[in-house]
Amino acid sequence: MENRLKLLRAERAWSQQDLAEKLEVSRQSVNAIETGKYDPSLPLAFRIAELFGLAIEEIFVSPARHSSRAI
Amino acid sequence: MPYQNPAYSRYLRRMIPITVAYLAAVAAASWLLPDHATANARTIAVALVPGIAVLAWIWAMGRLLMELDDEYLRLLEVRKFLIATGVTLAGTSIWGIVELFTDVPRLPVFFVFPIWCGALMIGQLVNQRSLGDGGC
Repeated sequence: MENRLKLLRAERAWSQQDLAEKLEVSRQSVNAIETGKYDPSLPLAFRIAELFGLAIEEIFVSPARHSSRAI
Repeated sequence: MPYQNPAYSRYLRRMIPITVAYLAAVAAASWLLPDHATANARTIAVALVPGIAVLAWIWAMGRLLMELDDEYLRLLEVRKFLIATGVTLAGTSIWGIVELFTDVPRLPVFFVFPIWCGALMIGQLVNQRSLGDGGC
């Protein structure tokens, strides 16, 4: 799933490890989410959104919206 | 030092003594029982002892999945287990069919678990190629 996690992290000058520690997950998890290889569960998506003070849809692009945009 | 989930450390702490117990049980069974011993209550009981260690290995793997609180790392392990299961089922079933119709050497069922453990490496490679991370 496409997302703005890398951008949001870079704005705060956090490394992947910093973000992983704040979310209490592994650095591999952060990397996999950022690169779109892994879609987080809803609870983890909420934790990410709450950490950045944003709504989930401001971080993660809805796959349906993304595909309709591509058409 | 890279972060390691505590569940992996607990898994390793469990697997090492279980492996030592397995090797000791196999050595003891080999020493106590002659080759192709007649099956009776005593010989079967002795031969079953290493099986307890195999059960303990499977239990430790199950605990790893239960205790891994990182959902992505858990996904990697589950994928590895599923791939290993698929490879083992496919390999042993196909070999079994070939055994039915030809005189190829019989595959002792003892080898099913070692084959599954070996197939975990295939799961790790698939994870590495598709997700970039192999798992523990």
